[in-house]
Amino acid sequence: MVTKFMTESAPNTKMSARDVKVFYGEKQAINGVSIDIDMDNVVAFIGPSGCGKSTFLRTLNRMNDTIASARVEGDITLDGENIYSSKMDVVQLRARVGMVFQKPNPFPKSIYDNVAYGPRIHGLAPNKAELDQIVENSLVRAGLWNEVKDRLTESGTALSGGQQQRLCIARAIAVDPEVILMDEPCSALDPIATAKIEELIHELRGRYAIVIVTHNMQQAARVSQKTAFFHLGNMVEYGDTSDIFTNPREERTRDYITGRYG
Amino acid sequence: MSPTSSPAPAGHPVAHKTDWMGAAMQKRIASRYASERRFKFMGLAAVTLSSLFLAFLLFVMVGNGAKGFITTEATLTVDMPAATGSISADQLTGPRLSATISSIDVRRIYDDAVEAQYGENGTRYFASTAWTALRSQLIANPDLLMGKADFWLPTSSDVDRAAKDRSTPEAEADYARLRQAGEVRQTFNWNFLTGSDGTDPARVGIWGALKGSLITIAVTLLLAFPVGVLAAVYLEEYATKNRLTDLIEVSINNLAAVPSIIFGLLGLAVFLQFFAMPRSAAIVGGLTLALMTMPVIVIASRNAIKAVPPSIREAAMGVGASPIQVVFHHVLPLAIPGIMTGTIIGMARALGETAPLLMIGMRAFTTTPPDSLTDPATVLPVQIFLWSDEVNRGFVEKTSAAIIVLLVFLLTMNAVAVYLRNRFETRW
Repeated sequence: MVTKFMTESAPNTKMSARDVKVFYGEKQAINGVSIDIDMDNVVAFIGPSGCGKSTFLRTLNRMNDTIASARVEGDITLDGENIYSSKMDVVQLRARVGMVFQKPNPFPKSIYDNVAYGPRIHGLAPNKAELDQIVENSLVRAGLWNEVKDRLTESGTALSGGQQQRLCIARAIAVDPEVILMDEPCSALDPIATAKIEELIHELRGRYAIVIVTHNMQQAARVSQKTAFFHLGNMVEYGDTSDIFTNPREERTRDYITGRYG
Repeated sequence: MSPTSSPAPAGHPVAHKTDWMGAAMQKRIASRYASERRFKFMGLAAVTLSSLFLAFLLFVMVGNGAKGFITTEATLTVDMPAATGSISADQLTGPRLSATISSIDVRRIYDDAVEAQYGENGTRYFASTAWTALRSQLIANPDLLMGKADFWLPTSSDVDRAAKDRSTPEAEADYARLRQAGEVRQTFNWNFLTGSDGTDPARVGIWGALKGSLITIAVTLLLAFPVGVLAAVYLEEYATKNRLTDLIEVSINNLAAVPSIIFGLLGLAVFLQFFAMPRSAAIVGGLTLALMTMPVIVIASRNAIKAVPPSIREAAMGVGASPIQVVFHHVLPLAIPGIMTGTIIGMARALGETAPLLMIGMRAFTTTPPDSLTDPATVLPVQIFLWSDEVNRGFVEKTSAAIIVLLVFLLTMNAVAVYLRNRFETRW
């Protein structure tokens, strides 16, 4: 199946993109990408630097809106609803499609306030007890609770890099999103912290649709069930991770995976 | 395999071996250290020079101004019951007190007492308004009306200067006479801190101008800070970048560099002529200074907002914060220290500004402190300017003393602002 011409979506599809093009001013960064993201599989985007995988990821929760010159064409739907339609509330969209960034970026506030921020602004907890519960659950799910439960009032920026990134994941899941986008979440972390994040991704799978951009092909192989290979703004190949890594259909994919370029 | 024995890779030129120990390299290293020492020396010299200037300024100001805080007083014995007739004790209680005091001709009693004690020309020893000091003392302590008492009253400016330094020969003789009789003393000049402008340097005070400055600066801060910060937030976070916003940016930068007297003319034209606001009023001064300060605050705030890492904005947007929540929950708290630095600089400049206030008539001769935004008022720097222009030699030390008050006011304000800024500073 050639994904570019895919029109029908599988029944448990969470997000789907059809012929998405992104322009930065005159320059086209993404040339018509179509992809389905479902709840059961972690999707990895791989590809050389500058291939557009992060750009595409950021169209999925409209983070590109913040760049004045960026323009998106094509359809992206969340549960069948077009996220670029005028009816879509972008603030709510970003709560439903959470994001974890390349560099851990906790707020310079306490650990508690970092996690509680999302629920507070969306009014998810009617009282302090429930907010406490949300914070605890999120930190437990992010695998950080045992390390920070005695120092919730300390600044989030005082944690180690790996802990900060897990705090950011806790912050993202505290608003109970449906999709979590991760933009190279481990590129600033050491191998042990990376292993913890990868473990966490395994545990979060199924509860959230997860898309992860990574430079590290081993990581893509470890954490994802589906992989999309991007090159020069095109999505070259999209399929089961095991197929992509053992038996890619496209020569460019094979060249990249075997380290010919990238 | 040592590097020297390995052959150069094909296609590369033979690597030139750097002679780290050679004479040429040693010379380069030496000259590098020399330039570093030169730079350190110049920096140290600059710091020393500016410290010396500052020390000299403080030394001269305190040396000259300290005397302004000291006043010379001479004693005057007044037999109150004899002069006023009998006043009963119940006339001095509660609401009847002020009526009783105003029924007494203090001026006449004072003149009579001076003539009795110091002879026909005795009033020359005292400040021309010394009788008001007598009245204030009576109001403060009505029991003095019941008997004979000694009052310490301010001497004339000439005698005051004779006590402190040099004066006219007559005044010096007068002072020597008073001293011999033990009828003179020097005390702290509370009147200088509580009084207002006047014609007699021995009796002028700084409170009127200080209060005028306080009101004016409050108007400036209340207007320039919120408007400036909101303008900066809008320009940084909301406005699309186009020719119009470029033009606005250039205009703001130019406004910050416009000489202050031009803002005075603007204030004169807009507030006094067009809006017909009262002359010499603190509100007009505050508005004019706000116009002058706002560009400084806008520029500093924009820079502070720009310096907030984009990752924080993304993080907040990533959990679904609306643009206004991003600004007020994350960007502004992180930018506040920088915004406050700009505001401190702007306020300090506004506090020391004279020229624009002269244009809107704030050089008023006001003998009472302003009580409202529209009362005629003057401010510290203008007061200093006015006193420095006075012919009477007694104003010299008052000018220096007023400068000390202005500096103390300024340093206090800055200290408070720096303290607040440090409290708001986020530790990463």
